[in-house]
Amino acid sequence: MFRLLNAHSTGYDERLRRCATARVRQVHVAVARLASISSRAALCALSTVTLVSAAPIAANLGRAATPAEIRAWDIDVRPDFKGLPPGSGSVSKGQDVWEAKCESCHGAFGESNEVFTPVIGHTTAADIKTGHVAALRGETVPQRTTLMKLSQLSTLWDYINRAMPWNAPKTLTTDEVYAVTAFILNLGDIVPADFVLSDKNIAETQNKLPNRNGITLKHGMWNVGDKPDAQGSGCMKDCKKAAAIISRMPDYARNAHGNLAEQNRIVGAIRGADTSRSAATELALLTKGASSGNGSMANASSSERRGETAAAANAANTAPLKLAQKHACTACHGVNNKLIGPSFTDIHNKYGANSATTLAAKIKAGGSGIWGSIAMPPQAHVPEPEIKAIAEWLAAGKF
Amino acid sequence: MADPMRIRAQLKGDVTEVRVLMAHVMETGQRKDSAGNVVPAFHIQEVTATWNGKSVLTAQFGPAVSQNPVMNFSFKGGAKGDKVVVSWTDTKGDKRTDEAVIS
Repeated sequence: MFRLLNAHSTGYDERLRRCATARVRQVHVAVARLASISSRAALCALSTVTLVSAAPIAANLGRAATPAEIRAWDIDVRPDFKGLPPGSGSVSKGQDVWEAKCESCHGAFGESNEVFTPVIGHTTAADIKTGHVAALRGETVPQRTTLMKLSQLSTLWDYINRAMPWNAPKTLTTDEVYAVTAFILNLGDIVPADFVLSDKNIAETQNKLPNRNGITLKHGMWNVGDKPDAQGSGCMKDCKKAAAIISRMPDYARNAHGNLAEQNRIVGAIRGADTSRSAATELALLTKGASSGNGSMANASSSERRGETAAAANAANTAPLKLAQKHACTACHGVNNKLIGPSFTDIHNKYGANSATTLAAKIKAGGSGIWGSIAMPPQAHVPEPEIKAIAEWLAAGKF
Repeated sequence: MADPMRIRAQLKGDVTEVRVLMAHVMETGQRKDSAGNVVPAFHIQEVTATWNGKSVLTAQFGPAVSQNPVMNFSFKGGAKGDKVVVSWTDTKGDKRTDEAVIS
């Protein structure tokens, strides 16, 4: 106790000394206004608290973004095509890119419903004339396709550019994005087979989209005076303090689709709940994280989660799993559950322990037919040593 | 006249892979419209494919085949530049024939 006091008073003297030199800082001005009648020593004592707890940290926090960083981040393309980089791509080049990178999920003609909803279908020549998709009214078609709903060509271009291919977003070149967009439009019979889409003619191509007139702007999201998009019924006063959970997924069904926490794309911060343990355990961890006082609930529980995983599993076996998560293998493959592709356990059981080379070749080249018709896209962008590590881990089968 | 088929024929090694997308409503004859009347069956019945005039595939389609069906098949032989011709006949006797060049 004595040592603590002593250390504290030394720190105080040091702060007092610093105070004399740092008084011009803005943070002091605010404090000085509050305490203008205090003695100088008291003022310094007050202000040093603020100084030590906030000012030096805030002053050194971050730096201005460089122009290159802003360019890399600022990739959105607007409906008036502001932000669209110059370039061009033909339908036939788009077909090549499509067959290499898109077809395995979307089908050869964009018609596949196996992995995602169809891109192409149910738009007619009459729709292209009117700009309204007739199939959107009534129930004549089983589901809506991308081309039925698309009202702004910039949306399609931007989406492909920022989010496709699923397993390696942002890897297409600008010209490839133009080419794939042109190919999709050709599949929808919107542009001819010899068409070349570019930043010059994209605006006139927009005028051929089947659903270009399907967009409505007369609602609250665009104009405050118009009809609101949402009917807010949220509680504004005398609200319940805490939510009570009255039902939840039974424990036996929680993990029916594999661990949701492992099935997300590596892009972005959102992760599913860890369904490998019971809801009660998960809730207890969350509550523990929230009551610990500092930090957000999510942070506390995820660090908790990391700690537990590291303790439970052998470090040598988690490293390849981390790799598999890093390269989004776990978006399609579960450890024990069949998702879009076979589970790691099933792969190990089929190929056995001496299969590292075979598996490495299969990861690199992709393929289909062995586990069903849904193809695995080639993973040639994954570094060779990491493919090898994952293949050896699969062959060893110690998950 | 029905909408054209989309045909993609590609040479992979010594095998030609053909993928066909046919545009057809493929009514099963078992659905009812909003007034409760049975929608009569109307679907593709027979599909044939030829390569340089030689028949490489004949298929009989029934009501279990989906709307706008996609069909993939492959045959040995074929060379770049050869023609693959696919045609179908539906229950009303309508026919549609389209061709593609092997690439």
